[in-house]
Amino acid sequence: MAKATDFLIIGNSAAGITAAETIRMLNADASITMIANEPYPAYGTPLISYLIEGKTTEEKVFSYKDAEFYTRNNICTCFDYGYEAVKLDAQAQTVTCANGEVFSYGDVLVATGSVPFVPPTKGIENRANVVPFITYDQAKQAWDMAVAATEKAHAEGRESNLVVIGAGLIGLKAAESLSHHVDNVRVLELAPRILPAVLDDEGAAVLQAQLQELGIVCTPGITADELCGEGDTVTSLKLTDGTEIPADLVIAAVGVRPNSGLAVEAGAEQGRGLICDEHMLTSLPHVYAAGDVTQVHNTLDGSDRPLALWPNAIRQGRIAGMAMAGKPFVTFPGNFAVNAVDFFHISLLTAGVINPPEGEGYEVDILTEGDTYAKFVTKDGVLMGYILLNRPEGAGIYTAMIEQKVPLTSVSPDVFESAPENLSFGEDARWARLHKGYPFDMDRYGRKERA
Amino acid sequence: MKRIYAIEKWCIDCKRCEVACKAFHSKSKDPVRAYKYEDNVPQPRIHVEGDLDLSVAINCRHCEKPLCVEGCISGALKKDPETGMVYCDQNLCVGCRTCVSMCPFGAVQVVEVNGITKAYKCDLCSDGTGEPGCPSCVAACPNGALVYVESEEGF
Repeated sequence: MAKATDFLIIGNSAAGITAAETIRMLNADASITMIANEPYPAYGTPLISYLIEGKTTEEKVFSYKDAEFYTRNNICTCFDYGYEAVKLDAQAQTVTCANGEVFSYGDVLVATGSVPFVPPTKGIENRANVVPFITYDQAKQAWDMAVAATEKAHAEGRESNLVVIGAGLIGLKAAESLSHHVDNVRVLELAPRILPAVLDDEGAAVLQAQLQELGIVCTPGITADELCGEGDTVTSLKLTDGTEIPADLVIAAVGVRPNSGLAVEAGAEQGRGLICDEHMLTSLPHVYAAGDVTQVHNTLDGSDRPLALWPNAIRQGRIAGMAMAGKPFVTFPGNFAVNAVDFFHISLLTAGVINPPEGEGYEVDILTEGDTYAKFVTKDGVLMGYILLNRPEGAGIYTAMIEQKVPLTSVSPDVFESAPENLSFGEDARWARLHKGYPFDMDRYGRKERA
Repeated sequence: MKRIYAIEKWCIDCKRCEVACKAFHSKSKDPVRAYKYEDNVPQPRIHVEGDLDLSVAINCRHCEKPLCVEGCISGALKKDPETGMVYCDQNLCVGCRTCVSMCPFGAVQVVEVNGITKAYKCDLCSDGTGEPGCPSCVAACPNGALVYVESEEGF
């Protein structure tokens, strides 16, 4: 017998929880059920590396929402491994879980996030010491294994070796956090630079050198050819440059892909992620999707691809929630990437177009000084993207300039030279920016205007 | 909600607002101690841009739809549903700087203090409960270059 609910939300991360909260805000009475395949309250998945580094605790990781969040919002929660949704029937409006439980819904939100993409490298399958690095469980496992591997190695009178396959954001955060628990860290990357999606060659080289000084050795252009070792344990990797390196633990972080199988098997249209309309409705009736699982229209370069970023998932979750609650006040126009990441004391913020194609009218401005590297990409007189390595101050002002297509002629000519300011904008624009909600009856001198 | 607005016509770049802010958010509430002696270095949640010719004090706008809250991966940044105040629970913050990349005003600073990196932003001199207090910067401004007034709805 199926459990009936007005709104079923599959996934308990950024998109799912925001949608649930939004629905409840707009509809006090409807039944809301959330199912997820992890036995935890919502947590910020990027926090796992901070947990390993001791910058946060298990208790804090699970405090993304306060302890009473689900009960206060009257949300029925089914969070356990068995609640992996395995079948979606859009006709019957039911979802079946791995544990056999069936839910019937009025509307469903597929907020199943992304799953690791495992490369077809020889010897990578069925290995106990090859782990992805996305979920809390995986991070705990990697952490425990790193500690155990180092103990074992030291008992044998040798150093412990961590190999990370993939120098994307996830791979490098895994390398940084686990470096505190192993002796040697090597990061492999197929592409010719680290962080291929969020950096350019020059910036990547600067960051790579800074990471090297901190003991994280990255070798872009070289990746694993074969994982070697007896039984289920990898002990070494043969690399594409012909060398072989020892390994006690391997993190597989070559990339993620939308976890869209459930909806696709039910007939939902997929491009590079689930295709949704501006209210996050998929091609199936009553089936919405939000977050990493979707394909997002890039408002800067016009491309359509997944945008696996926390703030985007929150935004889409809110819009889906409004539409599901029958109050589609806001539409989703698309988005662009804004990344914030830190490694040890290094900070890296990037946004928008990083590597503009040749011959399409883009202009590039690069500023380097000391350990900073800043790149600004402009086109048709507006900012399109930036890289800010070790120069985070005021970065959001640049993000706003991209988002709002602020004409560069209207801001100070030196806006890229150093940290941007509100004073970089003209007087009227500045007043408008800083005085939202300013009393109608007060003038710019802070005085009441006489009627 | 009541919001702080900068009146740049009256601002003389004296930075008394920064001093008052730093003092309020210190242990001792005393400017000299706060600046010179306290181990737990308090950070100003307001900063004055510019110089004597043209200056303006910048602090959190407590946005209706705060992008810093939307982007926060730890749940540290919150908007109080009752008071509208945007505040940072530093206990949860991991210093990732997503908020810095999102805030359109440069009003959130992520600073390392005694080896711990956290976000610092205006909390309207709250006692930590999400309930606004009596903003020290406004009280300290000698010129009326900061006003704390009831804002219009829907912005």
